[in-house]
Amino acid sequence: MSQVLHDIEKKIIEVLKSKPNQTTEQLSEITELSIDQIRRGIEWLRLKDLAEISESTKKSVSLGKNGLEAFRNGLPERKLINLVHDSPKNFDEIRSNLSGLGFNAAIANARKNGWVKIEKTESGQIISKKEEAVETPEEKLLSFIGEKNVSDEEIENKMALKFLMNRPDFIIEHEETTKSISLSNKGKEIDFKKADSGAIDVEANVPIIYPARIHPLKDVINEIRETFVNLGFTEIFGDLSQPSFWNFDALFTPQDHPAREMQDTFYLENLNAEKFASPTQIKNVSSSHKNGWRYLWDIQEAKKMVLRTHTTCVTIKHLAENKPNEARIFSLGRVFRNEKVSYKHLVEFNQVEGIVIGKNATLRDLMGIQKEFYRKIGLTKVKFWPTFFPYTEPSLQTMVYNEKLGKWVELFGMGIFRPEVTKPLGITKPVLAWGGGIERIAMLKYGVDDVREFYNNNLDWLRNASKCQ
Amino acid sequence: MPVVELDLNRIQRLVGKKSNRKKILDVLPFLGLDIESQEGDSVRVEFSPNRPDYSTDFGIALGLQGLLGIKTGILKTNVKKKGNYQIKVDPSTSKIRPFVTGIIAKNGSIDDDAIKQLMNMQEDLHFGIGRKRKKSSIGLHDLDKISFPLKYTTIDREHKFTPLNSDTESTISEILQNTDVGQNYGNILGQSSKIPIILDTDGNTISFPPIINSALTTVTSETKNILVEVTGIDKQSAEDMLAVVTAVLENAGFEIYQLKISGSKNSTPTLASRSITIDSDLTNRILGLNLSPSSIISCLKKCRLDAKLKNKRIECSIPRYRFDIFGPMDLVEEVALGYGIDNLDPTLPVSQNIGSKHSITEKLDNSSLVMVGLGFIEALNSSLTSKQILYEMTNKNSSDIISVTGSKSQDHTILRDSIIPGLLENLSSNVHETYPQKLFESGIIFSRDSPIKESINLSCVNASKNTNFSDMKAVLQSFLRTSFNLECETKTTSDNTLFTNGRVANIVINNQNFGQIGEIDSSILENFRVRTNVTAFELTLSGLIFD
Repeated sequence: MSQVLHDIEKKIIEVLKSKPNQTTEQLSEITELSIDQIRRGIEWLRLKDLAEISESTKKSVSLGKNGLEAFRNGLPERKLINLVHDSPKNFDEIRSNLSGLGFNAAIANARKNGWVKIEKTESGQIISKKEEAVETPEEKLLSFIGEKNVSDEEIENKMALKFLMNRPDFIIEHEETTKSISLSNKGKEIDFKKADSGAIDVEANVPIIYPARIHPLKDVINEIRETFVNLGFTEIFGDLSQPSFWNFDALFTPQDHPAREMQDTFYLENLNAEKFASPTQIKNVSSSHKNGWRYLWDIQEAKKMVLRTHTTCVTIKHLAENKPNEARIFSLGRVFRNEKVSYKHLVEFNQVEGIVIGKNATLRDLMGIQKEFYRKIGLTKVKFWPTFFPYTEPSLQTMVYNEKLGKWVELFGMGIFRPEVTKPLGITKPVLAWGGGIERIAMLKYGVDDVREFYNNNLDWLRNASKCQ
Repeated sequence: MPVVELDLNRIQRLVGKKSNRKKILDVLPFLGLDIESQEGDSVRVEFSPNRPDYSTDFGIALGLQGLLGIKTGILKTNVKKKGNYQIKVDPSTSKIRPFVTGIIAKNGSIDDDAIKQLMNMQEDLHFGIGRKRKKSSIGLHDLDKISFPLKYTTIDREHKFTPLNSDTESTISEILQNTDVGQNYGNILGQSSKIPIILDTDGNTISFPPIINSALTTVTSETKNILVEVTGIDKQSAEDMLAVVTAVLENAGFEIYQLKISGSKNSTPTLASRSITIDSDLTNRILGLNLSPSSIISCLKKCRLDAKLKNKRIECSIPRYRFDIFGPMDLVEEVALGYGIDNLDPTLPVSQNIGSKHSITEKLDNSSLVMVGLGFIEALNSSLTSKQILYEMTNKNSSDIISVTGSKSQDHTILRDSIIPGLLENLSSNVHETYPQKLFESGIIFSRDSPIKESINLSCVNASKNTNFSDMKAVLQSFLRTSFNLECETKTTSDNTLFTNGRVANIVINNQNFGQIGEIDSSILENFRVRTNVTAFELTLSGLIFD
């Protein structure tokens, strides 16, 4: 763990590294910080589990009133021996020199020390010197203590102390509790040199942050768009709401076709297009239906506004208006189906459609362009099956092998626009058309098995889906 | 796409001795039949709506025989004219369901599996060509229960008979009211007091089209001889249906006899094949092949058509049930199928074209990147959304709403006229994710015009404790400057429901209004259960940077 330490903390740690068990006062002295600063620093270190505080009790002694008196002027027995040093003295004489209780103690101790002898005479008791009085251990202790406070440990002669303590007011005992500070194991590991060089714990966890990004489905859409552009296709753009004419009639879908029913297609409530095609276009499409499907074509049906069910309406309108002889065009965008929403169906999804128009365009070319398109987006196992679309003939569908699912899945559909579609609109060259849903491809890419995922805007997914699939 | 269930043992028997299962399964997709699922011997395949003959295994077997080379060429319908089977049409039917046609199929045998297949076919014909029985509908009957001639006429709603799957008599009115078919299809007959009916010469009710057959003529596994009747409002459609059934029954081993139809614009069906001519050039040009006329002819025969060379052109004869073939281009597809789609080698044509994105796409892509640079994640929402999100939760007046009819989903009923409500809904479903949450979306919005106007808007929301008007304005300014080198002003407005009063402004660029910016009102945030501050702007790009 990396620690950010205050200067105060650093100074304290430095001292404790070489001298453990320091008191606040000692630390203050050594570091030259104030007691308050030291206290604060110790508290910080303790909270960080870097320092430990241990408490100890220290016993000491000093001299009491009588002890001090004895230290300054000698013990009573010493005074006594000094009085009888030159000649014996009788009791009364001595008593007047040695006041109070000191007299009895002086006599008793001097006799015990074998310094004097007492004789009874007619004039009373006489005290005389018996031996030379050498300095006693008690006296030595008195002068050792003196006017100081001396700790228990410093006193070697415990016996002498005991004697002195038995004498009233000689010794005062003291007890003091001290707190000493040392480093914890964690504290001992702190390496200042390393910390001071700016090094940090490079293995530590950091918070997760998320970049802003383009929606993952948009990434796929953009990739597909780029692929079309790279294959030489030019993008065209058209409305999501379309008159039925361009969505259905122009594409040879009969007016009573099931796909045109309300239960498959979204009709816009009470909305009809008034001007949507030229009179010639309308006339020709009408007769194409009459000849091909044998029914009375109704312009009112063609006016009804729908949400486009495919992007082909944009393509066909573009072709009808521009009648190119040779072109590569694509359109990409939202399309709509009135379906129950489920894990595999959406009411609104993206579709792309490309067309190649040219006098030499063939079905094999269409298959080749498809294959190249899939190769560019990373799908290499591709095959083609026949299928049916109302407005293309021949019609094929692409099957692409999905390694993850271990099976062939249906992707884009394709075909050559029927003459019943192209002729009425004055398009004379073969039109190769192909396209399909983009979400399907995105599902393969992201391993998503519920298509609704793309429109849930679940931030957890948006923030975590990887950009390069 | 419609689905038919195949039993592999049965289909193998129908296709012929030379077939095997693996080949059958391999070839099915090349008839345009997608294998949807397979469980043991049972295979479910999807078929295209333009090929109702594939709604039975009899029809599929016909196709398989061709592609496998077991039997090729056309299935010739030999309609025998023996027997005196006749339907007389009463003119009263002309106002309600004017056409009837039919055929007699004799000396066949059908087991329960075959009946199941025929029922599947009937259902598909009713749904597809029949347009839910409106245009035409079909009935199969046990011929031996019927005395000819039959009469197709009309009768009043008090008429009584015992309908299929019942043992008691009911009136027409009761059938229409009390049975599922009556309820589903009764509306085809409208309010007319008389309804169409087929009666036999003894006065027995045979069929009440397009609703239900009589119990009397129920087809069972005992049935050897069948009457097929088709009624409808479109003669062509009725005969199309008849042709499919005839081909299927013929392939099931029945002999086909004529049923004479007469009276009131009706006539006996001929079921004759047609001929269409194609030339090799067109075929080869479209497919990118170089096939000889004889190869083309052999491809067509594999698709159960007949063809012969006539004056350097190929004259193709098409059986009546292949009404999906309109003209030469359809035959080109048949050639491709006969040739085998998997034998077509893809070619990549050299292109002289230089592709490009549309300028709208270009600008949207670039401006989206600027929003990402400003820290906003892109969201995608449906443009077809719900009234609840768009209006109710945003306290907005819904008078100009644009709805779709008959949506199957409550969440998708109206077209959005702004983007912010969808983004608020996104914030609402992400309240458990970490903040700040910044989202943007660009897309199409709709408004009423003549008939409708589509514009492109870009919106963003910032949900976080510290967001406020000023920082959103900073985002807006930065976005406009970096994307389009545009400066904007924000002008006080009171015309708004989404934002807090006093903290909302119109976005004004070159003295024109292009949207709004502000702090979302707390009551709206409450509706969306968002418990933090949200600022947002919605900017109309159409008219500003697009045409």
